[in-house]
Amino acid sequence: MTRLARTSVWPGISLAAGIFVVCLVLSLVLGPVSLSLSQLWHFVTTGPVPGDLQNAIFWQIRMPRVLLACLVGAELAVAGVILQDLFLNPLTDPYVTGVSSGAALGATIGIVLHWAQLPWMTVLALIGGFATLGIVWMAARRRGRIDIFVLLLAGVTISYLASAIVTVLMIQANQDMHAIIYWLMGSFSGRGWQEVEIALVAVPFMIVPLFFSREMDILLQGEKRALELGVEVERTKRLLLVTAGVLTAIAVSVCGIIGFVGLVVPHIVRLLVGPSHRGLLPVSLLVGASMMGIADLLSRTVIAPNEIPVGVVTTFVGAPLFVYLLRRGRKG
Amino acid sequence: MALVTLRDVDFAYDERPVLRRISFDLEAGDFVGIVGPNGSGKSTLIDLIDGLQHPGAGEVLINGVPTNRFRRRQMACEVALVPQHFALDFDLSVREVVEMGSYCRGKGAESCGDAELTLARLGIPELAGRRFTELSGGEKQLVVLAQALMQHAKLLLLDEPASALDVSHQLRLFDLLKELNGEGLSVLCILHDLNLAIHYFDKLLVLSDGEVAAYGPSDEVLRPEIVEAVYGVRAYLHRHAGRTYLTFSPRLRPERRGRVHLVCGGGTGAGLMRELVDAGYDVSAGVLNALDTDEETGRELGLPMAVEAPFSPIGEEADAENRELMRRADLVIVAAVPVSHGNVRNIKAVLEVAAAGTPVWAVRGVLDADFTGVTAELEPAGVEFFADDAEMLAALSKRMPRQAGARGADAPAHEVDAPDTGALTT
Repeated sequence: MTRLARTSVWPGISLAAGIFVVCLVLSLVLGPVSLSLSQLWHFVTTGPVPGDLQNAIFWQIRMPRVLLACLVGAELAVAGVILQDLFLNPLTDPYVTGVSSGAALGATIGIVLHWAQLPWMTVLALIGGFATLGIVWMAARRRGRIDIFVLLLAGVTISYLASAIVTVLMIQANQDMHAIIYWLMGSFSGRGWQEVEIALVAVPFMIVPLFFSREMDILLQGEKRALELGVEVERTKRLLLVTAGVLTAIAVSVCGIIGFVGLVVPHIVRLLVGPSHRGLLPVSLLVGASMMGIADLLSRTVIAPNEIPVGVVTTFVGAPLFVYLLRRGRKG
Repeated sequence: MALVTLRDVDFAYDERPVLRRISFDLEAGDFVGIVGPNGSGKSTLIDLIDGLQHPGAGEVLINGVPTNRFRRRQMACEVALVPQHFALDFDLSVREVVEMGSYCRGKGAESCGDAELTLARLGIPELAGRRFTELSGGEKQLVVLAQALMQHAKLLLLDEPASALDVSHQLRLFDLLKELNGEGLSVLCILHDLNLAIHYFDKLLVLSDGEVAAYGPSDEVLRPEIVEAVYGVRAYLHRHAGRTYLTFSPRLRPERRGRVHLVCGGGTGAGLMRELVDAGYDVSAGVLNALDTDEETGRELGLPMAVEAPFSPIGEEADAENRELMRRADLVIVAAVPVSHGNVRNIKAVLEVAAAGTPVWAVRGVLDADFTGVTAELEPAGVEFFADDAEMLAALSKRMPRQAGARGADAPAHEVDAPDTGALTT
C-alpha cells in the first residue's frame, strides 16, 4: 500500500517563526535610541538593572511595548482567521461581531468619567466587549442554534449603535474629545507591563483553536456538511466564537481599535500556505505578531519624536503587500 | 434487526408538513432507490435518516437506536451522506477534501492514508493533487463521494448523485455503487431518472407529497399507473432489447380536442400516434396487423384499434370495426403507408367516410408506394394532402376540423360550443 506523505506544515511555520524573530529583534533595537545587537544581548541577559537609564528605557518602555504589539497582532490575526472561516465571508474582520465597538464604548465611558487610569479603562473596555458579545449571541440564538448570519447582522448593528453612543459622549465631553479620538485610533504609546499582562491572558485562547484545526477545515464546507461528516457543529462554533470574542476584546481593551491586521493577515497567509488550518492558524499568529511589531516600529520611528497612529501604518504596510500577493496568486 | 427503521414518521418545517406517516425498513445490504416528484420530501427523508433532522412524531432508528441518541461522530461512522449541493470556495487540494471524510474515524493512522486508494477506486487517482475549486462539476461530485466513502459507514445515502454527470459517468457511478453494495455497503439513493432507477435498483421507494406511495421491487413499483398517479404524467412501458423502458407524455388536458382516426401500418403512423395523443386528441387506428410496429405502439398507448391477425389481409370483421371507428372520428388521417391488396380495404373505407363528409387528411407519401392505384381516388374525393407528418401536425394545431354529429357520446358538451372551431373546407 502506497501512502503519500501529507503535505507538511512545518516549513511554513519555521519560516514564519524565523521572520517573527527577525521582526522582534528589529523592533527591540530600533527606535529613538537605537541599540546595537550586542547591547540588546547584554540587556536581555542581565535583565532590568535599577539606576541604568538605557536599561530602564529598554526594560520599562521598549520591551513591553514591542511585546504588546506582537501579542495584539497575533490575537487579531487568529481572531480574524476564526471569524472569516466561521462566517465564510472574506470581508470579515475581528470587529464585525461588535465586540470592538462595545469595548470602545466601555473605554469612552472610562475616559468621560475620568477613570482613564489603568486598570479601570481596560476593565470597562473588556466589560463593554463581552456585553456586546452576549447581546449579539442572544440575538443569534434560534432553537438552541447560533445562526451565524443573524450573528453577523446583529454584530454590525450593535457596532453602529455603540459608535453612535460614543459620538454622543464625545460631543458631550468636549475636553475629553482628544483622548477619546486618540484611543479609538489605537496606539501602543505609553503602554507598559500591566497591559502586557492583560494581553498574556489571551495566550490560551490563541492555543485553543489549534486543537480544532480539523473541525475548522471541515466547516469550510458549510455547517450542514460538517454535521454530516461527524463534527459537533454547534459546540465547535460556540467555542470558536467565544474564543474570537475574547481575543478581540482583550486586544482592543489594551490598545484601542487597530484595523487591517485581522482582515488582511489571514488572507495573506491563505495565499502563502493554503486554507488548511493546521498551517493557517500558527502561521497567521506569527505573521500577525510580525506585522504588528513592524507597524509599531514604523509608527514610532518614521517621524520621531512624533508618532503615526499604528492603524495607519498597518494599512500602509498591509495594503500593498496584499495587493501584490493577490496579483501573484497562491504559489503552485 | 433492520439497519434503518422508520415508524410512523411525521416531519414539518415550521408548520408546513413535509413527511407524513412514513414507515419502512431498510435491511443491511439493501440497494434501494428513492424516486418522487420535486418537493415530495426525498431530501428531508435522507436528512432524517442521517439524524440531521428529528421527526416531529414517530421514530427513526439506526440499528434499533433512535437517531437523536447518536453523537454526530458516531452517526458519521454509521451513515455517510453524499449531498446534492456541495460548496467549497477555499483553495484546498482534492486529497485534503477527501481526507476530511475520515474525521469520524479519529486520528488513527490506518484511516489517514487511503485517500489515494479511495480516489483510485473511483477511477480518479490523478485528481489527488489538484485543487478542488478547479474541478468540473462531475469531478467534484465524485470527489465528494470519495469523501463519504472515507467514513467507512455501513449505509451510504446519496442525494441525486448523478445530476451533474454525463451519461458515461452516470453509468460508471451506478456500476460502482452496485459493486460497493456487493461488498456489503447498503445504499439508499435519491434519483430522478426513472429508467436508471429500474435498471440499477433492486427496490424502489416512491415518495409522493410526503407519503410513501409504493415500496418494493423496482418493476412492481414503477407501473405506469403509479407513475401517472405520482407524477401526473402519462407513462408508457416499453420492452426493447431485453430491457424495460418508461416513456412519458404530458397528462391529457381536461378538455378533449377531438377524435382522430389514423390509417397507417409498418411504423408509418407510430410517430403521429404519439404526437396526437400527447397533443390531447382521442386517437384510434386501424386496420393494423397484430405485432406490426404501429399496432405495438398503439397497444402501449392504449388506443382503440381495429386489428387483423399477423401477416393476413384485412378481413370482414376487422374492416367493419375499422369503419365504425372512422365514423366516430372528427378527422381521418392517412399516413404514408404502402398500399397493397392486403390493406386496400383501409383506403376504400377512407374514401367512403370522405364521401360521407368526414374530413380526411393524408401524407403525400401514401401516393408513392401504392401497388393498387386506389390512392389516385383520394384527391378527387376531397382529401387534403400534406408534405409530411410535421406539416400536417402544424396545420392541425391551427385548425382542428369538427363535425358535431360524428362525435362520440362521451365528448364534453363545451366542445360543441367552442368558438374557435374552424370548419374544414373540403
